[in-house]
Amino acid sequence: MTDRQKFISGVSASLGRSVPVAPESIDETAFFESPGDADTRAKEITQDSTSRSDELMESLRISAAKNGWNIHSVSDSENAIGVIQDICDSKGVRSVLTSDHQALNQLNVSAALSLPEGATIRTTDRELHKNSVEDSKEEAFTADLGITGVDYGIAETGTVVIHPKNRVSRLVSLAPPVHIAVIQKGQVLESLDELFAMERHDFLKDDLAGSMNLISGPSKTADIEGTTVTGIHGPLEVHLLILE
Amino acid sequence: MKPVTINFRDKASQTISDEQIQQSLEHVYTGFFKGRLAAASETDNWEALRSKGKAIKDHTIANLDYYLDLLATNVEKAGGKIHFASDAAEARKLIIGLAKNCEVKTVIKSKSMVSEEMGLAEAMNDAGFETVETDLGEYIIQLAEETPYHLIAPAVHKSRTEVAKLLDRSYQPGSEPPDATELTMMAREQLRDVFRRADMSVTGANFAVAESGSIALVTNEGNGRMSTSVPRVHVAVMGMEKIVPSIQDLSTMLRILIRSATGQRISTYVTMVNGPRKQDEEEGPEEFHLVVLNNGRDKLLSDIYMREALNCIRCGACLNACPVYRKVGGHAYGWVYPGPIGALVSPVLTGLKDGKNLPNASSLCGACHDACPVKIDIPRMLLELRWRTAEGEKDPKEKSSSMAERLVWKSWRIGMMGRKRFDLGSRIAGWTLRPFTSNGWISKAPPPVGGWTSSRDFPAVSTRSLKSFVKSMKLGGGK
Amino acid sequence: MSNLEDTPTKPDKVTLFSTCMVEQVAPEVGRSVIEVLDLLGVGIEYVDDQTCCGQPAFNSGFRSEARPVAARFIDLFEKTAGPIVVPSGSCAAMVRNYYSQLFRDEPDLKTRAKAVSERLFEFNEFVAKFFGTNALKGQFSRSNTATYHKCCHLLREIEIDEEPIQMLENIDGLEVVPLERADVCCGFGGSFSVKMADISTAILDEKLDYIEQSGADTVVAADTGCVFQMQGGMRRRGSSVRVVHIAEFLAESAKNAGAGK
Repeated sequence: MTDRQKFISGVSASLGRSVPVAPESIDETAFFESPGDADTRAKEITQDSTSRSDELMESLRISAAKNGWNIHSVSDSENAIGVIQDICDSKGVRSVLTSDHQALNQLNVSAALSLPEGATIRTTDRELHKNSVEDSKEEAFTADLGITGVDYGIAETGTVVIHPKNRVSRLVSLAPPVHIAVIQKGQVLESLDELFAMERHDFLKDDLAGSMNLISGPSKTADIEGTTVTGIHGPLEVHLLILE
Repeated sequence: MKPVTINFRDKASQTISDEQIQQSLEHVYTGFFKGRLAAASETDNWEALRSKGKAIKDHTIANLDYYLDLLATNVEKAGGKIHFASDAAEARKLIIGLAKNCEVKTVIKSKSMVSEEMGLAEAMNDAGFETVETDLGEYIIQLAEETPYHLIAPAVHKSRTEVAKLLDRSYQPGSEPPDATELTMMAREQLRDVFRRADMSVTGANFAVAESGSIALVTNEGNGRMSTSVPRVHVAVMGMEKIVPSIQDLSTMLRILIRSATGQRISTYVTMVNGPRKQDEEEGPEEFHLVVLNNGRDKLLSDIYMREALNCIRCGACLNACPVYRKVGGHAYGWVYPGPIGALVSPVLTGLKDGKNLPNASSLCGACHDACPVKIDIPRMLLELRWRTAEGEKDPKEKSSSMAERLVWKSWRIGMMGRKRFDLGSRIAGWTLRPFTSNGWISKAPPPVGGWTSSRDFPAVSTRSLKSFVKSMKLGGGK
Repeated sequence: MSNLEDTPTKPDKVTLFSTCMVEQVAPEVGRSVIEVLDLLGVGIEYVDDQTCCGQPAFNSGFRSEARPVAARFIDLFEKTAGPIVVPSGSCAAMVRNYYSQLFRDEPDLKTRAKAVSERLFEFNEFVAKFFGTNALKGQFSRSNTATYHKCCHLLREIEIDEEPIQMLENIDGLEVVPLERADVCCGFGGSFSVKMADISTAILDEKLDYIEQSGADTVVAADTGCVFQMQGGMRRRGSSVRVVHIAEFLAESAKNAGAGK
């Protein structure tokens, strides 16, 4: 293995110098933006997504529908549970995994859903359930339905954003064949610019999650004769449940 | 992957006469090419985004040493490990070593052109690790033991029948194959089984972020997400040029990458990985390794006239726009990277002597330059490489023109340096070709014009030059 | 790069840069340019010793042979005054966009080339910029169905796109029909057409198929190389579709209109 210094020296040499030199700043990259500016921007974005929440949610509804999300808009918990219940019933769901997100907790999904005898619903929580990582994975792969909240929605692209963490599994929105994402008013950002500004802000505060997933529809591929087929490795069906 | 770019002409001819592949290549235009145009036209600030993307890349490449160093620091700070490999062999050794140390049995691979450069899947299988490609297109060609046909759609050339033969154990040759949905569901089942077993994943990285040590992965299928969720060990491989300075830069780069590749505003999944999983997460890799590969890229970097080729973000838009690629397909280019960007990168990385056909496989139409999301001036660099193969400009060993060709251009120059000899040359050409001429056209000519007349009529050289007409015309002059 | 920035005063004389192909193979295109310019009230100066701009050798990589030919071109044309007009997008692009690369280690030649470039215009560009695409309305007539192929260098290097179509639409009696994939290359590419003849032909076949589908009996284009590639192919497949350079087409249409008066 070539060591780091040797490799970097080689690159410097290709650029006609002996060591790296701090670059002159350019406008086009935020690299040179100060943490103060990033902070201001984050505050502006948060404010904007609150003050324009209806408009942004409407945009998201349109762009998400275009991407193949099934859209459900409800005005109260009862109707929200009703939507989830319908999905469970129509698919004969026997095992449901959820994540620890405020939107779901408010709905109290586990208690409110009525599932057939022997069916299970629980939040992914290794510590609580005394699961190994292997158990946790197996659980996700055998579940019929995954329900999560989201950290953001993105209007430009019809996307929901989830940061996996403790009690928010990476696989719960990927492995089961159906995923329901529950989004609340005020969670929608305008575009990718705003998302990555928020992400950068988190980074500068030393608060970056282990990973971030942007989910913009059901899993798909067009690798066979250019024909689009839904549901290759991820969910075949995704539902966006909007709590107005 | 061993380069076979020397076989370009034969492979090209074969593909041109293969009706089924020609039909598949048509999809590349109607699907990807048209998709990009539609996405660009509905994006208000598309040209501004392209300029911004170009500026970010120009800046990054011009300061690549600085940003690589910073990336290394930040990958480690985030709890990952960074490894530097000067060539494919070193990279393979490194990754196989990691697999051994981590006592890995099953390896899943997400789509990565750099891993193709390394011939990684084959090497790992040979070393005893069950290594399976999980992108559907890559899975299909892995089963077929072929190389990718396109940057974004590796199995674009395969018909449903051919795919059925590979995926469907119960398929009877000669019968109607299952439809695309059925075949896809078979692959889903086959690969899901592999995902559950996987100990290690190898992915590419669409972008690495220097300021945070993160990588971003773009997929539609979800295999990228599986790769960053299921196995204990995640190895990401990247060409050393795939860096951007800041997390914020991802919003520009993802916009131009995805719209240019498939015409979507965003791919189904974009995953940002910031190191191994946090301790209290439900699942996710315990180890994150980033392997940074040179493999000849320093040759492009140190060459100020070719450096721009390192701005490439591997979207495939140039392939989709190229009238040559759409006729000859991906395999003709003989190495990992097909199409216009391949015609630049392959000869420089694998040797201009063998790759000499590639810079000439272009009508210089410029559609690739128009299509490129970061405005890479591919025609300019194709001309640069032509200069090197013709005259050995940069390195005499790269010269591959024949004595005959050099003589042709020498006589051409002599003929152009004076009007009298220019006219004489015309007259001689006219007389020489007269026996072949009828009604002002030639349908069968001797070499070198013979190459033309095999498929087209050739216009006769005129008996009078324009000059002689001008001299005899009554010129009106200004009114 | 486009030279179409501002609208200047109309010149009454230009220098004709004929191109080696027009001189040797298609002088009727040169004559047509002269006739059309005459209709606009523009006379021409002719550079007696002109031969070639050097593009063929440059494109084939033989820059050492291209350089003296290009330098000679600059010598001849910098002695002229006023606009220089050339009936070829690729030759215009060679001088305006590629001489700077050919002379990149020769600052003096580079400067001189730039000076010439600034007053060099492709034929359609010249008409559009100084006179407008409808300047000759009412002076042309014919009864054909025509379509327009967008030659690559004219489109992408000189940035002339719809202007020639607008000129065609000013021809009385002419039906102008759209061409699918008009901006896709015809496969000429200079020596590419011979060096990689089978690829060139495959690209050409697709172009010719789309032309036939358009229903046009004539296809008009602005570069003689492309005209010959397409006409050569049309003849070989026994098609009666005519391929003609736009200058020639306009000149014929003017004669037609004149005959009708």
